[in-house]
Amino acid sequence: MKYLFDSLTANWNLSPWMTTLALVLWVVVITAGVLVFMATFAGFTSWVERRIAGRMQSRIGPNRVGPFGGLQWLADGLKCFLKEDVIPKATDPVLFRLAPYLVFPGGFAAFAALPFGYGIAASNIDIGIFYITAITSLVVIGILMAGWSSNNKWSLIGGVRSAAQIISYEIPGGLAILTVVVLAGTLNMHELVVAQGGWPWHWFIFRNPFTFVAFFIFFASILAEGNRTPFDLPEAESELVAGYLTEYTGMRFLFFLFTEWANVWVISALLTTLFLGGWQIPGITDLGATIAAATSLGKWFWVLLSVAMFFIKTSALVFLVIQIRWTLPRLRVDQLMIMCWKYLVPMGFVTLLGSAIFLVLPREGAWAWFHLSVQGIMTLIGFAIVAGLIGRAWYNIHALKDRISLENWL
Amino acid sequence: MLKQYFKNIKNASTSIFEGLAVTLSYMVRKPITIQYPDRIEKPLPEMLPPTFRGILEVDTGICTVCMACMKRCPLDTIYIESERDPETRKNYLTRFDIDVARCMVCGLCTEVCPTGAIRHSTEFDAVTSDVINLVMRYVQPGDKIPAYKVSKEEEPPGVPQNEPYCRLKKQWDAPAPLQPDEVRGAVRWKKQTSKQEGR
Amino acid sequence: MSRMAVETLDNESTIVNMGPQHPSTHGVINLRLQLKGEVIEAVDPNVGFLHRSIEKIAELTQYTGFIPYTDRIDYLGAMFGNMGYCMAVEKLLGVEVPRRAQYMRVIACELNRIINHLIACGTMSMDLGAFTPFLHGIREREKVNDMMEKICGARLNYNYMRFGGVSLDYMPGLDKEILAFLDRFERFLPEFNRLITGNEIFVQRLLHVGVIPKETAIHYGLGGPNLRASGVDFDVRRDYPYSVYPEFSFDVVTGGHYPGECGDSYARYMVRIDEMRQSARLVRQAVEGLPEGEYLAKVARNPVPPKGEVYSKVESVRGEMGFYLVSDGTDKPYRLKVRTSSFCAMSVMPEIGPGLMVADMTAFFGSLDVVAPEVDR
Repeated sequence: MKYLFDSLTANWNLSPWMTTLALVLWVVVITAGVLVFMATFAGFTSWVERRIAGRMQSRIGPNRVGPFGGLQWLADGLKCFLKEDVIPKATDPVLFRLAPYLVFPGGFAAFAALPFGYGIAASNIDIGIFYITAITSLVVIGILMAGWSSNNKWSLIGGVRSAAQIISYEIPGGLAILTVVVLAGTLNMHELVVAQGGWPWHWFIFRNPFTFVAFFIFFASILAEGNRTPFDLPEAESELVAGYLTEYTGMRFLFFLFTEWANVWVISALLTTLFLGGWQIPGITDLGATIAAATSLGKWFWVLLSVAMFFIKTSALVFLVIQIRWTLPRLRVDQLMIMCWKYLVPMGFVTLLGSAIFLVLPREGAWAWFHLSVQGIMTLIGFAIVAGLIGRAWYNIHALKDRISLENWL
Repeated sequence: MLKQYFKNIKNASTSIFEGLAVTLSYMVRKPITIQYPDRIEKPLPEMLPPTFRGILEVDTGICTVCMACMKRCPLDTIYIESERDPETRKNYLTRFDIDVARCMVCGLCTEVCPTGAIRHSTEFDAVTSDVINLVMRYVQPGDKIPAYKVSKEEEPPGVPQNEPYCRLKKQWDAPAPLQPDEVRGAVRWKKQTSKQEGR
Repeated sequence: MSRMAVETLDNESTIVNMGPQHPSTHGVINLRLQLKGEVIEAVDPNVGFLHRSIEKIAELTQYTGFIPYTDRIDYLGAMFGNMGYCMAVEKLLGVEVPRRAQYMRVIACELNRIINHLIACGTMSMDLGAFTPFLHGIREREKVNDMMEKICGARLNYNYMRFGGVSLDYMPGLDKEILAFLDRFERFLPEFNRLITGNEIFVQRLLHVGVIPKETAIHYGLGGPNLRASGVDFDVRRDYPYSVYPEFSFDVVTGGHYPGECGDSYARYMVRIDEMRQSARLVRQAVEGLPEGEYLAKVARNPVPPKGEVYSKVESVRGEMGFYLVSDGTDKPYRLKVRTSSFCAMSVMPEIGPGLMVADMTAFFGSLDVVAPEVDR
């Protein structure tokens, strides 16, 4: 958000060291803003997840604290902070205390590079996607540390599982990212979005069949990196009691969960940015030019509209991530590795290669029509899948002679 | 081999698709949760079928003091005392305690009752801060209730079958005052007269 | 660095306690696992945490007073404890049970089998990490529980059967309610299958896991779905007919034609799913052919059977449940021995367990459908 700072301070005629001071203050403000957003969102997601899970299981979910139970997460957070901080005697005291704070930045720092809208990013790094991939793998150190220092056999198994899982799934995830990066020719998150367009057929997911597959590869691997079901082996409740979390209580426990829920947002935001056109608004080919041409009020309108687009897409994906968690069983350790190395990695290479071939195909004359028709067909397939899902859900309701009812929906 | 490889991918994606469709469909179906205890249309005991075996309750007015329920109870939950007036030769009920905390609501006592004096209510939430309060005392200390005589001509004025019977609630709100010693005395009695002789 | 942590990282095997407080041991059961990495080298099931000396209680209680205790042997299949015990005492007393009561018993037992298998399949998917199918199973079970309240007055510990019949006649309209539930249930099962049974992850987690060969299953005395999934075509209801089961048509489901191997966890799971269908079929036949008449024969209030001994067995949800009853001519049994299949299922674990992974262990344990109180009694 350096440009906002520049535009703000442009008329102030500050001395150089004052500018530096103001910049530091600005960074603090932005960091606090991102932290607040992340905290609120992670808490809010925990409530949303419980409501959605409840609904899927014919329950209602938390609906007592605040309007529709919307403040449940605050109550739970408060409860966890007030709980006794139990540190078992046999643990490694330093590492045990340190582990949550290593996990936390892994989730938090990723927010710095996420483009929430046109120019709305805490930091527009040139190697944005690379930075996020790197910083999210920091989580594994904290988890391994937690598993080791707890001095509990279940915790240790969980920690080791986590290390194996997250490191393995970096590879297909990286390959899927490369598939997109090859098309866009940049690692910058902003430019990755700019390389796409507003309408679905401009999105990278529908660019060609290979990126379509890459989307699902990336989805699977980033779910695995975020320890979400079906890849929640490190904390597998029915196998390892709670995995690396077993010995944690209260606030420290909360820090792990906090990161997990913040990760849900990171997962969805990354998928949106890389594959679903990010903040692009349908019908606007060049949002930058539109904003430049608009009045000062119009500028805000367009920026907010782009933020809204991003939020809509990301929220849909958050729903999908939560839904997957409450639908699928968990993989076994060896199956997890088989899925990674036998399925996702080879497929990742194929998508990278295929996408590169599409890139070198000429784009003039008849080839333009070819590219356009491929995009159109892929878009149709994508929408057919969504429509099929809804139709199948409709069938399920009627097969059981149930009625559609939104009772207690909120 | 390669065929199997692609078959696995296809199976996985179609089955995950089917699963997601099921969970998605439940987003717009009615939840079955009953929001007990506050957000329900009527009190839960009234929603339960009359056959429901809840906490035992006694209509001492029609108790014949036959003590069949006390003998039948496998857990010695019921404790009845009676007194015979030496002049009028009439039987009086002087004590009728049911220890709800011991009761396993099996319903054997209600089946042997000749008049339907002891039967199950549809109440079930026996929540109390002290387990002593769960000893339900149907005859206050000092009271004497004449035993009911079953006449051959008329039907016993028992409660009509298949109709919920919730007189208990009133009694529940104000449990009979009971001293801990009394309860212990009752328990001791049970131990002494226990039918459990060794072999 | 704490020393214990270092020791566990040695190249030697680790011993971990799975249970008695573990999310997937379904009650208070302790499994001592000897692990090498994640692979199990030895399993030592440690039972007895839930021992309540039910057999001794029987010797101290009158015959009728013991019926509620039979609910507590297997709390998920309480009807079968009732049924087996009542059949044993009826055999001793020589009581003829009215036909209507027999039909009502069959209906109650098979409804109980349906809801037990719903729980079994649900908890099994929960052991594999899918929570939603469990609650969908619970939801359908709740409908039966509501009917059970009307049938016998309780939701879990039924105490329904008496010597010579059952405790309550049907409320008006109950048979229609049961039929309506069956209609819904037959539509619900395909949806349940779409949700979890067909799921590729679920299938792959269960195929070829914990294979119990036919001979092992017979030698260890397994029963019920566990035995049939190993390819042994045995069902007490058909092979040693009791009550009115010979009057109904139903199939004995055996493993072998499912994907994977005969006797693996998936076969056990699928046998349960298909048994629910057969039970629904039985309930439908029984409700439609429910005769009029007495629901309880005239039996003394406190029966005193003659001297003698008797063994009765029923096909419980977990296999053959047998009651061996010795009477010495008093109003209390001289000795009662209960034979339950969960105990045999636990005893097969050291044989099959080694070689599985920790995650397989939960799947295998879930597929055996062991209920802790039935193991210890």
